[in-house]
Amino acid sequence: MAKVEAGMEGMVDMYLFETTTLIDQLDEILLRTEQANEFTDDDINEVFRIMHTVKGSSAMMGFENLQKLAHKGEDMFFIIREDPSKMKDIGFVYDLVFQMSDLFKAEIEEIRSNPDYEGTDFSEMIAKLENGAKMLQGELEEAEAAEAGEHPAAAKSGGVEAANENQSVIRVYFDQDCKMENLRAFLLLNRLKESFDVIDWFPKDVENNSESSATIQEDGFLVTLNKADVDEALKVVEQSLNVDTYEIVTDEKEESESAAQQKAAPAAEQSAQSAPKEEKTAQAKPAAETKKETAPAKKEAPAPAKKPERAPVQQASSNSGKQSLISVNLQKLDQLHDIVGEIITTESMVISNPELDGLKLESFQKAARELRKLTDELQDSVMSIRMVPLIGPFQKMHRIVRDMKQKLGKNVELVIEGEDTEVDKSIVDNLNDPLMHLVRNCMDHGIEEDVSERIEHGKPEKGTIRLSATSSAGEVIITVADDGGGIDTDRVLQKAEEAGLLTKPASEYSEREINNMIMLPGFSTNTEVTEYSGRGVGMDVVKKNIEKSGGSIFVESKRYEGSSFIIKIPLTLAIIAGMEVRVGDVIFTVPTSAIKQSFKITNNQIIYDTQGNEMIMLRGECYPILKLYQKYNLETETTDFEQGILILVEADGKKVCLFADKLIGEQQVVVKPFPSYLSRYNLKAEGLSGCSIMGDGSISLIIDVNNVIDKQ
Amino acid sequence: MADINKVSEQQNELNEKINKAAKSSGTEIAKALTFIIDDRIYGVDISYVNEIVGVPHITVIPGIPRYIKGVINVRSKVIPIIDVRSRFDLPEKEHDDKTSTIIITYMDIQVGIIVDQVQEVLSVKAENKADIPALERVNNNKFIEYILETNDSIKMILDVKKLIFDDDFDIEAVAAE
Repeated sequence: MAKVEAGMEGMVDMYLFETTTLIDQLDEILLRTEQANEFTDDDINEVFRIMHTVKGSSAMMGFENLQKLAHKGEDMFFIIREDPSKMKDIGFVYDLVFQMSDLFKAEIEEIRSNPDYEGTDFSEMIAKLENGAKMLQGELEEAEAAEAGEHPAAAKSGGVEAANENQSVIRVYFDQDCKMENLRAFLLLNRLKESFDVIDWFPKDVENNSESSATIQEDGFLVTLNKADVDEALKVVEQSLNVDTYEIVTDEKEESESAAQQKAAPAAEQSAQSAPKEEKTAQAKPAAETKKETAPAKKEAPAPAKKPERAPVQQASSNSGKQSLISVNLQKLDQLHDIVGEIITTESMVISNPELDGLKLESFQKAARELRKLTDELQDSVMSIRMVPLIGPFQKMHRIVRDMKQKLGKNVELVIEGEDTEVDKSIVDNLNDPLMHLVRNCMDHGIEEDVSERIEHGKPEKGTIRLSATSSAGEVIITVADDGGGIDTDRVLQKAEEAGLLTKPASEYSEREINNMIMLPGFSTNTEVTEYSGRGVGMDVVKKNIEKSGGSIFVESKRYEGSSFIIKIPLTLAIIAGMEVRVGDVIFTVPTSAIKQSFKITNNQIIYDTQGNEMIMLRGECYPILKLYQKYNLETETTDFEQGILILVEADGKKVCLFADKLIGEQQVVVKPFPSYLSRYNLKAEGLSGCSIMGDGSISLIIDVNNVIDKQ
Repeated sequence: MADINKVSEQQNELNEKINKAAKSSGTEIAKALTFIIDDRIYGVDISYVNEIVGVPHITVIPGIPRYIKGVINVRSKVIPIIDVRSRFDLPEKEHDDKTSTIIITYMDIQVGIIVDQVQEVLSVKAENKADIPALERVNNNKFIEYILETNDSIKMILDVKKLIFDDDFDIEAVAAE
């Protein structure tokens, strides 16, 4: 079975994207309302709308299982919407809906990764939801039954009437075998609602009653609109998929009496169907003039709550949707990004072309400066396109904390700060897993199991996990902190010893070193594997993931006060401002952000320590000198300090002076990772983070200041 | 950059042959690009070969085995370079205008190999192919996949995987990255 309905393949991406967004929205609403312990009418409507849209689009795509699932969720909220008081103290609804949203996410992932995926059977969850709906209905059953009795009558007289002379009714027929007429009608209705005031429609229950399809097939789908909108609306109708014919209803009096009994209409319909479309549009004018005055009382009876509530929500959401936002395939952005990178490289190739050396080119230089300015701007705007706030991954943590709170029986609050800090999209994607792992870790190991332990140390009963982000100087600092028990350094040390991870006598380790041991591969203090953490993969994976996005992580912890994991990641990976320095034949790029100063010295400024290591005194501070030619074993004629140049660099508060032959100049460089063939050699540990192609086509090596300082 | 454009006529000719050689015909079971190292003739299966370029400026990278000379820039791609001489533990030789870099792709991994001189594109036929077990003790057999015997000489066709990777290396993991 082809999973996706024929002709819809191209829509899959869009569908997945939309549905994911909606489900995320759903999660967010639920979390917010659960926390606030208040479910407003707006929230209920919004949830209902989400379920509804998901249902509709799943059906369109042919994902029957998802459609059913959403349908049941919708049913449940339908009941709630009818009587919001039921929502007061019903926690199980949250659980059910969260479970449902998880299933949705999993299924969407499956569809995304495997186009031929057959679809999971959700009958268990559906049954649960049905039960939930029944429980909700519970005491209302009697009233419901009474209502049901009234319903057929309401439905019968449910035709659409133009309430006054300013309204008119459109009748739409769909293609003969397009199937699911009710959903098509519903989609059309939504489109109309986006732009116009839809006053009424019939059949009323197109959204959740597939039997209404038959009625639509027979008698068409009726929509009442303001007269002024009709012409525009007809255009929308005309453009809609699967619409066969449409007309302005001239004689709806009869119809409203009894839609089923209408016999005169079919004849008229048939003539209308065979008539060319132009004619029908022409027909629209006189038809619109047919004024109808019918009492609106009847039509308000069947669905009093529905319309007034729905309309504003729809409008609000469509308004925000029109914030001139577009979604773009990330691949296209990457391409754009690559091209900008190439342009910058080529620009340097032109401007610092060796053939220009020694020429006096005033206007060329001026034009070159202009060009540089523009390419800088171009680069900035491409970068800013890729920047997204951290709110996404941060919000997800609410969910994790919520779930674990229940499972572990720990009372914990998650505090989020600085979620609007922006970082490169690719980095955000790589952050999800590490953050999740860290938060789980805080929940599982950080916060004390025993509340009395917390009270004993003067902490509030309720634990706090703080997730915060700030940006500073090309870096984003993300902190995951808990106020739990902190790291037991003795135990860590003992464990590390058992695992054979110690490289020097245990007594020589500083507290900081011990704390950071938990991120060594093969270290996990939890002897038991729990559902959430300690799956054999541990903090070392977190560390690896973060290093993959060019970041670093370290732990700060105080026994009984809590621990924090501090992640530092670069704002963007791809283009950096760098200082080119030459050492022998090799050109290195030192990120400008790390450079404090560069300067020449005389030999008598050098201080030697007992082992003959060179140092230099600068403004009362003493810095070690790292000779790049020596570190990288390069041949150079410049070994005399007086001939070369010193560059003072700083990372993590530590400073060192790099010694190079000479400075070449500052340049924007596009960072390229080393070829995958070389990935088995730990070049990062060598203090090299990547390479870049320079204006003259040669390759420079980018120095990772952090590692150079650590490993020297 | 200029170096890459300085492709000799012979290299050009071979590049054209490489482009055409996608399909083998008749009794031919494969095609091999042969090259000379230290007066011996070696070859690689042409399906791995992308192109032949001169020897552009090589950027040395510290901390990697000696036979990996560094990286070169081929049309804005950074490609690591293996010196086949050092791989075979032969003394290094000054690069001259015959020295060529053969760019090969193995499991999506691109590397360049430096050879003394590229020679020709040959057809491999079943009858002139000899498997290696019989030649167990031939020098350097670690890298040899099979022997190709043509009218006048013997050519050793190299196993690309062994040439570019050490034994203990997990290729899948790298290719997956």
